[in-house]
Amino acid sequence: MKTLFSDLYKKANTGFWPIAIAFAFLIIGTITLFQNPRSLGAFLILMTTPLVLYFMNMPMKIKVFIGLLLIIIVLPVIGIKNIFILEVIFQMAVFSALALGLNIVIGMAGLLDLGYVAFYAVGAYAWAIFGSKQMSLLYSIPGAAPANAEFFLDARWFWLFLFLGVGLAALMGILLGLPVLRVKGDYLAIVTLGFGEVIRVLALNLDKPINLTNGPQGITPIQRPPLPPEGVLMFFRSFLEPLVGHEVSEAEFYNVMFYFLALIIIAIVIVVATRLEDSRIGRAWTAIREDETAAIAMGIPLVKMKLAAFAAGASFAGAMGALYAANRTFVSPETFSFQVSIGVLTMVILGGLGSIPGVIFGASAVTLLNIQILQNFSLYLSDLRQSDAVIPIINFAWKDLSTQLDPAKYQKLVFGIILILMMIFRPAGLIPAVRRQRELGEEKE
Amino acid sequence: MKQFAANPVYKFFLFPIGQILVFALGASVILSLATVLLAYIFKFNVTDFDLVERTMLILPQVIINGLTIGFVYSTIALGYTMVYGVLEFINFSHSEIFMVGGIVGIQLMAYFEHAGILATMNEYLVIALAILLALVVSGSLAVTVERVAYKPLRGAPKLVPLISAIGMSFFLQDIVRLILSLTTGEFNVILPKFGTFDEFWKIAIPGMEDPLRIQIKSVLIVGVAILMLIILNFLVNGTKVGKAIRAVAQDRPSASLMGINVNQIISITFLIGGALGGAAGVLFALKATKLDPFSGFFPGLKAFTSAVLGGIGNLTGALLGGLVLGLLESFSASYLGIFTNGAFGAEYKDIFAFAILIIVLIFRPSGLLGQTVGQKA
Amino acid sequence: MALLQTNNVVKRFGGLTAVNKMTFSLEEGRIVSIIGPNGAGKTTFFNTLTGIYTPEEGQIKFKDHSLIGLRPDQVAATGIARTFQNIRLFGSMTVLENILVGMHIQLKQSAIDTVFRSKKFNAEEQEAEQRAKDLMSFVGLKNVGNELARNLPYGGQRRIEIARALAANPTLLLLDEPTAGMNPNESEDAIKLFRRIRDEKGITILMIEHDMRVVMGISEHISVMDYGEKIAEGSPAEIRSNTRVIEAYLGRGAAVAHEQKV
Repeated sequence: MKTLFSDLYKKANTGFWPIAIAFAFLIIGTITLFQNPRSLGAFLILMTTPLVLYFMNMPMKIKVFIGLLLIIIVLPVIGIKNIFILEVIFQMAVFSALALGLNIVIGMAGLLDLGYVAFYAVGAYAWAIFGSKQMSLLYSIPGAAPANAEFFLDARWFWLFLFLGVGLAALMGILLGLPVLRVKGDYLAIVTLGFGEVIRVLALNLDKPINLTNGPQGITPIQRPPLPPEGVLMFFRSFLEPLVGHEVSEAEFYNVMFYFLALIIIAIVIVVATRLEDSRIGRAWTAIREDETAAIAMGIPLVKMKLAAFAAGASFAGAMGALYAANRTFVSPETFSFQVSIGVLTMVILGGLGSIPGVIFGASAVTLLNIQILQNFSLYLSDLRQSDAVIPIINFAWKDLSTQLDPAKYQKLVFGIILILMMIFRPAGLIPAVRRQRELGEEKE
Repeated sequence: MKQFAANPVYKFFLFPIGQILVFALGASVILSLATVLLAYIFKFNVTDFDLVERTMLILPQVIINGLTIGFVYSTIALGYTMVYGVLEFINFSHSEIFMVGGIVGIQLMAYFEHAGILATMNEYLVIALAILLALVVSGSLAVTVERVAYKPLRGAPKLVPLISAIGMSFFLQDIVRLILSLTTGEFNVILPKFGTFDEFWKIAIPGMEDPLRIQIKSVLIVGVAILMLIILNFLVNGTKVGKAIRAVAQDRPSASLMGINVNQIISITFLIGGALGGAAGVLFALKATKLDPFSGFFPGLKAFTSAVLGGIGNLTGALLGGLVLGLLESFSASYLGIFTNGAFGAEYKDIFAFAILIIVLIFRPSGLLGQTVGQKA
Repeated sequence: MALLQTNNVVKRFGGLTAVNKMTFSLEEGRIVSIIGPNGAGKTTFFNTLTGIYTPEEGQIKFKDHSLIGLRPDQVAATGIARTFQNIRLFGSMTVLENILVGMHIQLKQSAIDTVFRSKKFNAEEQEAEQRAKDLMSFVGLKNVGNELARNLPYGGQRRIEIARALAANPTLLLLDEPTAGMNPNESEDAIKLFRRIRDEKGITILMIEHDMRVVMGISEHISVMDYGEKIAEGSPAEIRSNTRVIEAYLGRGAAVAHEQKV
């Protein structure tokens, strides 16, 4: 049976077959999703396309072509048709970027950072405080904002804050790392966890003595960066509207814009991460991960290189934080809980420590699981509850099922199970990292 | 003198009690002095009342609170430190083992209440039964967790079991929540009201207007914790199993060559650590009166900080670290607000522990009582 | 002037004095061995030289600069490279990458160069890769550049470790039991390799070794340690007939027998 399957796969993986399969997934996924915008199955079919592209043999040019077709044209158009899909994809992109950043710290340098979300929070709160009316409310009690408060900065400042977020988070990474990176590896986990909590508690309580964060209520509204000029929008409307069959609103344009911004950040993260990995710096990180004593004997300064990893990882989170704050137009301490740090860790572990395609896959899969699959399961259960259905043998009526049982709220359980199972059965992840193979030019004997 | 030191009554009873007293008194006195000194310094900051007088007035209460929570931290910290001593591994899910102990204890009391016999039972018997149940449940849970999630990973790189432990911690939180919400429909568990231990003993102190008020509960918590510590001290230092545990902690391969069943000893370590954590959970529940599946997180972190503060792997260190941390937390919670005129308050007490953790790790990574061990090349 | 000079170096662990008043000097361009029974403090002495331990007393001078207080990476930067008693490779990196890690000190590429793949970066990487390949053939590794280091057999791993140390362009190479676990043929190859390292690259070699065939076959000078102290030094012939050395290795009786024979 197994050989039959692998033979089939081998056949399918030669010649034009892979291209045909990739197009099949792309086209079938697109059409079904067009007809049933809410269908999870159709969405999964479409999202299989990148996996086919990654795993099967076909020319690089075609891979890039199909990939770009998917992410630049198909997904935004479907996203405008069904805003929920674009939201799912945006979240996938946000978490992919976060996971790629964390992957530098834990996957490449082997430093277990459990407070990663703190850097995300720093970027988010930086734009939240300056990009909202908060600066005019510094001396007023939370919740009692005067109606005439003004925005402190123009929305265009967002672009600067995207870079400031990078810098601030990197700076925080260094400030935290300086004392902490001297400690042994497993202490680092707890100290960074503590640091993450410190940032959250500060966000929660810095509504006094001056009201910097507005406390548990969070900051809103936060400005979004301005849309492109009206002319550009008209141009896109002209061919988008016939496709999706309704007028494209400003909100939908915003969503598409944020989707593309996230994509650009991810592209930058991938380029930077792969280039760093295959260089003196990346090799030093991996050496530290593998054996600190040997690494330092080779002349690698441990603390300096660890700080670099910390700062690099943190900076990506900072950029994503600023983007997230603008996208939600709202931040609150709840968004930056320990659970998010572990969620991102789960994505990295599931995909494969140190593996860039793995990490993106992990982030997408876990996000999908969180906001679609568990959600759907919850809906299914609540449907069952309202029915008269009964579980046959044990004679249990679904009606009696506790309303507390809402799978969508059991993310921790899912993270926990994934982490334990992966560590026991597949510690290298679903798509393990591979080392770059070089041209050696050696004569074979 | 040497003969006297070998006397079991001295070795397993008088000495540990003396040590506990010295630690508790010493830490209290040092912190009190420091606080009073600070009060004099900050005096100018506060105009509407005499800061020093106010400081002195609440000082006894602050110390009692600090010692109560400190003993709970010590008891939890022992679980971390024992496992670390034997496996060099931070048992991240220990905070959930602790939480399960507390919830199981409360559920037992709730069961008695439901059965209508809580009011008629001796209150101390109820607490003893709750602790006993928590000991058993948490101990066996810890052993199970070790078997399932850590044992298969022995010999893997250090991060691997640590990540598995984090996963286990999350898993246990949500599985407890799932069980509670499926069975009771509610995932907060509340300590039923019974007995008289919420009341206060009033001790008049000559020269002071108000009497010193000590909650019976606090005395109970401290007493039970001390009893646990003495039993543990005996187990580790006075029995054959204890000797085996120490041998495995020092050198696992050699211990194994000497015919010690290392796997069994590791299980026993988890059993003892988990049982202590469970008992601490019930004590904590008595104080907090309300628990949920996530209430293990912060006490667990603080207990870990205590273990590091005292010198991880060192049992006496865990005791001292817990007491110091409990007192520091109580002092900061009570005085931070007064000293800064309300700008910062008790809400920062949780992150106080982390500040201490970071400072200790920078300046004395081996902890207060730990020894620096040479790194092998 | 000696390349490496230590004066009365003392390293203690609690009550144990692992290295005691070690005075030792090493001339440039030689191959020198340190021998001694297990637990004599040889590896501890190496670790004190390379900055893993800081000695409680004494001086260590390399090229006339003090090494005391330097971190291991700083010691490495002065031109001392080492291998380890139990091989310490970066197991999940390829053989070639292991050697590239050894060049860490020499490579000058910055993070900016790296991210933008500047000309300087590409040229440097290409050159480094070429050097790594040359080193691989120098130590006799063939067709394994893309293998993961942990997948190589024992002898191969030893070679990688030496190539990695050579990649740092050291003046002094410290080898900690480099032929442990090798059969006589492999040891013979190793000896040839060590000679070539000295003769062709002009690198001074200091090694800890147990295999007397290797020690006597290659060393130009031998120091003997026992209980943390240097108990003898001299040429292989001198060491062979030194009573204290025989006592340290074989016990008092053998030493007495030896004296009587002489």
